[in-house]
Amino acid sequence: MIDGYKRLMNLEEPPPPKKAKGFFTDTSLCIGCKACEVACKQWNQLPADGFAITGNSYDNTGHLGATTWRHVQFIEQAKANGSRQEQRWLMMSDVCKHCANAACLEACPTGALVRTEFDTVYVQQDICNGCGFCVPACPFGVIDRVPKESTFEVGTAHKCTLCYDRLKDDMTPACAKSCPTASIQFGDVEELQQRARQRLGELKARGESTARLYGMPEGKEAAEVGPLHAFFLLLDKPEAYNLPEVPRLPRKTMAERYGWSAAVGIGFAMVAALVFRGGRQ
Amino acid sequence: MTGGNFSLPHGNSPPPLAGEGQGGGSAGTAGYYDYPVVRRPVWTWEVPAYFWLGGLGAGAFVTASLAQTFGSADDRRIAADGFYVAAAALLPCAPLLIGDLGRPERFHHMLRIFKPLSPMNLGAWTLTGFTPLAFARAGLHAADTGLLRGPLRALVGLVPRRLTELTGCLLGLTLAGYSGVLLGATNVPLWAKSRLLGGVFMASALSSGSAAVTLQAARRGAPEATLHRLATVESAASLGEMAILTGYLVQSGKAARPLTTGRFAPPFWLGAVFAGGLLPLLLHGFARRGHSRTVRSLSTAAAMCSMIGSLALRWSIFEAGKDSSEDQSASFDLSKAGENLGGCGSSI
Ligand code: SF4
Ligand code: SF4
Ligand code: SF4
Repeated sequence: MIDGYKRLMNLEEPPPPKKAKGFFTDTSLCIGCKACEVACKQWNQLPADGFAITGNSYDNTGHLGATTWRHVQFIEQAKANGSRQEQRWLMMSDVCKHCANAACLEACPTGALVRTEFDTVYVQQDICNGCGFCVPACPFGVIDRVPKESTFEVGTAHKCTLCYDRLKDDMTPACAKSCPTASIQFGDVEELQQRARQRLGELKARGESTARLYGMPEGKEAAEVGPLHAFFLLLDKPEAYNLPEVPRLPRKTMAERYGWSAAVGIGFAMVAALVFRGGRQ
Repeated sequence: MTGGNFSLPHGNSPPPLAGEGQGGGSAGTAGYYDYPVVRRPVWTWEVPAYFWLGGLGAGAFVTASLAQTFGSADDRRIAADGFYVAAAALLPCAPLLIGDLGRPERFHHMLRIFKPLSPMNLGAWTLTGFTPLAFARAGLHAADTGLLRGPLRALVGLVPRRLTELTGCLLGLTLAGYSGVLLGATNVPLWAKSRLLGGVFMASALSSGSAAVTLQAARRGAPEATLHRLATVESAASLGEMAILTGYLVQSGKAARPLTTGRFAPPFWLGAVFAGGLLPLLLHGFARRGHSRTVRSLSTAAAMCSMIGSLALRWSIFEAGKDSSEDQSASFDLSKAGENLGGCGSSI
């Protein structure tokens, strides 16, 4: 009977854990070729998002979404009357961060969002019922639900899978494989973190004073959501890349929220009891 | 697109922003052009409608149950109609909740696990538990008044009265409050900045629920003393609602702008605050001094205002929240270092 229930509810035993996999995205190497965007779309058979010119530099993608799991940003930093050397053009390939404490995963009421054996965050498409709670829960605006009128996996939530299907076969994710400059580096998270610290040291030594890492265990951005398994080397403040300074994990304030709600309910019950009792005499 | 989003390296480019970093070349924003940081919620009108009806049903059930335990014979008899109100309000709740899903046929996946960490999961279980209790208690009331006869009446007679009321109250209060906690457990500035939204929705549910009981009592020609007591209970909830709503707006600060000054300001100020809070308080105050004929019509008007105001409150906060999710600078404020630390909830 228990087996029957488990089959009905799609409850499976998780596979044994493996080493955590992730990305180190070194934005100082990105040339904005968008090979990652295209490779991701191709491998995952994601539909095109339409043909729109935003007018915002070379970025006609806009943001991550249900059918866009890699997004290359183009940040033009122009200084009035500055010399040519003072103009900067920053590029960054954004992706799901595969947070150690993932807000989307904690919000999910169906258990569709799971942590895989590679310590990545994955949406099981056969479980998701499209409740949409993960969408505003993610502090980075990554995951999104496909509109009900779409032709692609109607009504469920989508985001980067960290190429779960490829990882299962010991292959490198499509985006990292296609990156011609090694801006997207795939590997064991611990080893990537070592590499990132070293790379930051090199850049600092070369005078890149504004370079910094985002998503490392020691960073303040990990205070609530934990280390990001897809983390970044940035050349400016996180805000310049639309990354929050300290991404919030909704769970952290939930007890207090329930507390206020309960206080109002109990207060009402006490007042009402007194009023009704007053009518008995 | 606005011209300011594209700045040329020479000529009339906008003045550089302060600090080491300049935004994405855009004039005035700290972030990447004017793109939002978080995604816009995909929920539609079914959600605030469900929050409203679920809260109203729960509030009516709690009011009716409290009257059964503590009230006089008149109060008990009159307020028991609240169980009908609860059942009627809960009837469309499950369809509304299911209708908003991207894949409605998979609603039952909400119940394949028990995960109270997710307010959405907790709410689905609460609704699943509370709905049959509310119907069972309404059935008992129907049996009491002779509406139910025969074998059905015998069946309903098996329902344990006190236990149903007690567990119903606990589940009902959970249903009334979790909706505000759910919206708060996101990264939408208007919903998440203050931690009082769960309390606001709870108070609104209780004021609209007790108002529904008052309305029914006035219609049935309840004794004046009972009507006054119900009005007092409702006014207490309205007062609490106005107090906690004030706290919510103050705590939200700039994040509340889409609600207080945006296109949802009229439904919020006129609907939720004036019609839903201040007007019922005033009308019940007049009713206290009036003659028995006017008492009835004033109470009816007050109760209807309160119920409509409660819908306006959920709807305006819900819709304004969607606009708030696109407010880049409010998102940065919400996630500034130190914003979320402290408070009694930070240790879980
Ligand atoms: S970045 Fe967002 S979608 Fe990705 S794991 Fe973290 S919370 Fe989930
Ligand atoms: S939309 Fe799907 S993945 Fe997202 S929280 Fe709901 S059930 Fe989970
Ligand atoms: S890991 Fe795979 S799914 Fe994720 S962005 Fe890269 S190609 Fe797309």
